[in-house]
Amino acid sequence: MTSSMAQEESTPLGRGLDLRVLARLLRYLLPYAPWVGLTLLFILIGSLARQAGPLITKFAVDDHFRPGIVDGFDTLVYIYLGLLILQFALGYCESWATNMVGQWAMRDVRMQMFRHLQRLPLRFFDHTPIGRLMARNTSDVDALNELFTDGLVALVSDVVTIVTILSLIFYMDVRMGLLTAVCLPVSFAATVWLQRVTYGSYQEARTRFASFASSLQEAISGMEVVQLFGSEDRRSRSFAHSNERYLEARLLASRYHSAYFPSMEMWGGLLLALTLWYGTGQISKQEMEWGVLVAMLQYVPRFFMPLRDIAERYATVQTAMASAERIFELVETEPEATGSHRPPQQVQGRIEFRSVSFTYGDTHGDDAEWILRDVSFTVEPGQSLAIVGATGAGKSTVVSLLCRFYEVQKGAVLVDGVDVKDWDARDLRRRIGLVQQDVFLFAGTIGENISLGDPELSREHLEAAARHTNADRFIRPLPKGYDQPVGERGVSLSAGQRQLLSFARVLAANPEILVLDEATANIDTETEMWIQDAVGRLMQQRTSLVIAHRLSTVRTADTILVLHHGEVREMGPHDALLAKRGLYYRLHQLQYGEGKSA
Amino acid sequence: MQANPFRPFRRWLRPYRRQVILGLLLLFAAQCIQTVLPLLLKQAIDDASGTTAAGSGVLTIQLQWLRDISDPIEVYAGIIAGLAVIGWAVNFGMRWYFTSLSRYVEGDIRSAYVEHLVRLPLRFFHERRVGDLMSRAINDVEAIQRFLHHAFRMTLTGLLTFFLSLTLMCLIDWKLALLSLAPMPVMVLATNAVAGRVRDGYRLVQEQFATMSSRIQENLSGMRVVKANALESRQINGFEELNDQYVERNRKLVVVRSLFYPFASFLNGTSMVVVLWLGGLRVIDESLSLGAFVAFNAYLIRMSRPLMMLGRMVDEFQRSIASLARIEAVIDHPPEDRGSGADRCITGEIELRDVSFTFPGDDTPVLDRISLRIPAGDTLAIVGRVGSGKSTLARLLPRLLEPTTGEVLVDGTPVQQMPLATLRSAIGYVPQDSFLFSETIRENLSIGLDGVSDSPSSRPEPVEWAAGISQLAGDLEDFPAGYETMVGERGVTLSGGQKQRAALARAVIREPRILILDDALASVDTHTEERILKSLREIMKARTTIVIAHRLSTVRDADRIILLNDGHITESGTHDELVAKGGRYADMYRRQNLTQELGDL
Repeated sequence: MTSSMAQEESTPLGRGLDLRVLARLLRYLLPYAPWVGLTLLFILIGSLARQAGPLITKFAVDDHFRPGIVDGFDTLVYIYLGLLILQFALGYCESWATNMVGQWAMRDVRMQMFRHLQRLPLRFFDHTPIGRLMARNTSDVDALNELFTDGLVALVSDVVTIVTILSLIFYMDVRMGLLTAVCLPVSFAATVWLQRVTYGSYQEARTRFASFASSLQEAISGMEVVQLFGSEDRRSRSFAHSNERYLEARLLASRYHSAYFPSMEMWGGLLLALTLWYGTGQISKQEMEWGVLVAMLQYVPRFFMPLRDIAERYATVQTAMASAERIFELVETEPEATGSHRPPQQVQGRIEFRSVSFTYGDTHGDDAEWILRDVSFTVEPGQSLAIVGATGAGKSTVVSLLCRFYEVQKGAVLVDGVDVKDWDARDLRRRIGLVQQDVFLFAGTIGENISLGDPELSREHLEAAARHTNADRFIRPLPKGYDQPVGERGVSLSAGQRQLLSFARVLAANPEILVLDEATANIDTETEMWIQDAVGRLMQQRTSLVIAHRLSTVRTADTILVLHHGEVREMGPHDALLAKRGLYYRLHQLQYGEGKSA
Repeated sequence: MQANPFRPFRRWLRPYRRQVILGLLLLFAAQCIQTVLPLLLKQAIDDASGTTAAGSGVLTIQLQWLRDISDPIEVYAGIIAGLAVIGWAVNFGMRWYFTSLSRYVEGDIRSAYVEHLVRLPLRFFHERRVGDLMSRAINDVEAIQRFLHHAFRMTLTGLLTFFLSLTLMCLIDWKLALLSLAPMPVMVLATNAVAGRVRDGYRLVQEQFATMSSRIQENLSGMRVVKANALESRQINGFEELNDQYVERNRKLVVVRSLFYPFASFLNGTSMVVVLWLGGLRVIDESLSLGAFVAFNAYLIRMSRPLMMLGRMVDEFQRSIASLARIEAVIDHPPEDRGSGADRCITGEIELRDVSFTFPGDDTPVLDRISLRIPAGDTLAIVGRVGSGKSTLARLLPRLLEPTTGEVLVDGTPVQQMPLATLRSAIGYVPQDSFLFSETIRENLSIGLDGVSDSPSSRPEPVEWAAGISQLAGDLEDFPAGYETMVGERGVTLSGGQKQRAALARAVIREPRILILDDALASVDTHTEERILKSLREIMKARTTIVIAHRLSTVRDADRIILLNDGHITESGTHDELVAKGGRYADMYRRQNLTQELGDL
């Protein structure tokens, strides 16, 4: 997982502030526009209130301190206190609102991704490691959240603060205002400079770190080989080396940072000196009041704090941009194609493969590895077909194509005479009960695993299904019966029990078509008996397609299809095929041994 | 917090004592400069406004001589400007020291971690997930770096700023200083009260996040089932519920957490009000100078930041301590027993005496009292079903596993009683899954030469030779970069057979006394396999070989074949003997022939 993540990290981290990406991100805030508007209002008023302090001091100095008048001074104190309370209230509301808007937007992003993932074709999951998809849902969403709650809002707040302070200084003294304003392009230039000089080394550091991380991951997974061949020293030397190279790149950027951040304080100090010199000069010429100077001396240090912070926000924005691009890429992945055919109430369950050829790979070029070649067969409603063949003959692929997990390249798969491409994919799958070799259990109770969360399925129906498929026999003795949790933290079920459970699953859903991939795992004799019994019942009155490993299943099937290297080699009932002494005969001998074949 | 918060880091900071001390000195200097600025302002304003009030005499800097030569304000402004520039240099140096310090320590910890990791017994890795070990090397080390770089500096800066400012405020006017700082204790108490609830809230949020993540993970790994049963909308509903719960828990946290900063700045504000109000009254009755008033305001502003950050710093500190503990748990884990005894030459006689092996936490033994002797130079083949204990048996030899009871002997000496390096350098092991590193093929093959003290032969080109033996050389000719071809994600993807042959070459290159093939040719086609076996026979003539295989064609020429069944040796003999015996081996042989025929049809 980490290696795939590490690999992605090494791709360039966005191109800084991509406005189109940003615009698209902001769309997530649209549903919460009133809150966003309110937040902005809070920020605006809040920072006005915050910057009012020095202004009040100005009035205190000019109207009270200098002339020595106590009258009315308490009003100023009350105003100050009032503003403080207002600030507190606004600050709280702002923090609440930004955090919640971020949470809501992230909920929507997560939902959108989850929804989209459900619509993607299986082919996508075959090629994408789960770890990568998990990273989209965790670290990338986190980065976006950071952007919304910290980056953007703080950026707005910083800008508002800067504008407020600047306007107040202008209001008090135009020349001082102009002087302060000069600092803006200077510090902006410094920030741009910082970005320019550190960008490359950041990139370099990330790339180097990614390669360090992926080789470490590899060494941990291959620790056995490392130790077997006595490569411990060589490995740790090479790690020390790449670790050092990473730190070098890091330190290069750090040097610039170390120079940049204190420089803002320096500008502050210089401006303070200038203000003091200019202010006292103006005062002595009676062109400025003392209060203005006192207020100015308070504003100057406040002015540089947000300027400095903006550079830090930039990093947040950059990370978020890269994450946003990855998320967008995911939600833009082409979803699974689906038709719109919805069947009538009752599906007959006729299956037909019409000259189907299929490959998981590329169809172009001569070396296409066809898994199925020109496969044709029909299963009439209520009939059963057993598919036999050696490993790799293409049996499971037949099942996948019937369920329309993949699209055929040549020919067509039809259910009730309608091409599966034209079916509504979910509707089609609802008509097919699929039992796979290894049964996937969801975290939850046994009952939930049978009903698969169908709210309309009554408990009686569920238990009846379990009884009918013999699953009841192992469920009832469990301490909590149907409410027994399974999966990671619950009981572990044997392969046979899992099979029985999945039979119950199918029966509870009561589909018209049964597709069964029999488990080859070792199953104890008693369970084996129950399974055989249940399979028999499941196949009754259903069109069944079975990848058969059990002799009993093969023998009772109406038709047996022998698949060999992706081609249909023989087809017919058991006895007829045996009599033919062909491929089936040999397969039969191989699988069921001598003596049992008759 | 502990008495000395840096105690846990001492081990890592010690090599950089000089940097730490220099950094601390610079930090102190920087804070002194910062703290002196308001004082200069005070003097300047008092001088200019001519309100040298009582109480500030102590701190009046005697600059009489300066006044004689120029305008005092110009001097003050000049000093402030000068200090700003000096301050920049000092700050630059201080930051640089701390940043580089944090990076060096980061590097040291990471190197130490990795260096130790490769020396841990394999059991250690079986019990842990790769992701967990990775996250320690990455996230935990980063947390420590962040702390040393940022929090360490910020905490010290904050504390110094606080106490220096407090001292100077008291020197200017201790009564006003104490009154203005009266709200501080409230802040500390309130912070503590909220911190507990915030921590609980975080825990709940984290738990919900974990639940949500594992739901996604489940959904993704069960996607086939989800699709097969058309469960998409149910899955979406279920996830939505968890998602909403997550937002709800966050909301509860936000309600409390949002109090933090606004409240801190509110309290700081009340200090300002006190100064404005009480200080203001005293400026009016001229018992406090205007300059002192300005200086008070300046100090309070300075004190607000560190106080607001205090909570976060404590949090980061705790996190880094936890991270360090997680790393040290690995570093302090006892390394693999390297064996004892003198280095020696191994001839390759192998004996198992009554060896049993049971996986920890399992009841049924994988190997059950196995005794077996392989004379030096012989070839032993092991066949049997999946899970019959074949690989386990082979893995006991290079001590990838230790027997639960019984003894494994090489050359008559128990393997524990010889140096691990000696033992392993005598063994060429080709594991079941041919793990290759994302390096060039040449590098992958020359791994085999690692740990072999003196080059086993004077072959000029051992890599090419080994590739030839394992029939890999021909494939490499098709790659444009030949032996320098990169393997893995960033290079070519080798086929299963090619990987196995590369793994074989990696073992053969050591020219080991003992060669173990653990089902190592399963993905190689029979034709190539035959050629490989032929060339192997040449070089393995006088060497001990253990071959595990499913394909009986691989084993038929072995000196002895044993059949393992549920941890017992049930059949033993040469190929012909076993076939003649008509037991399980003979049955397997018959089936394989049938399969072969089928495949040829």
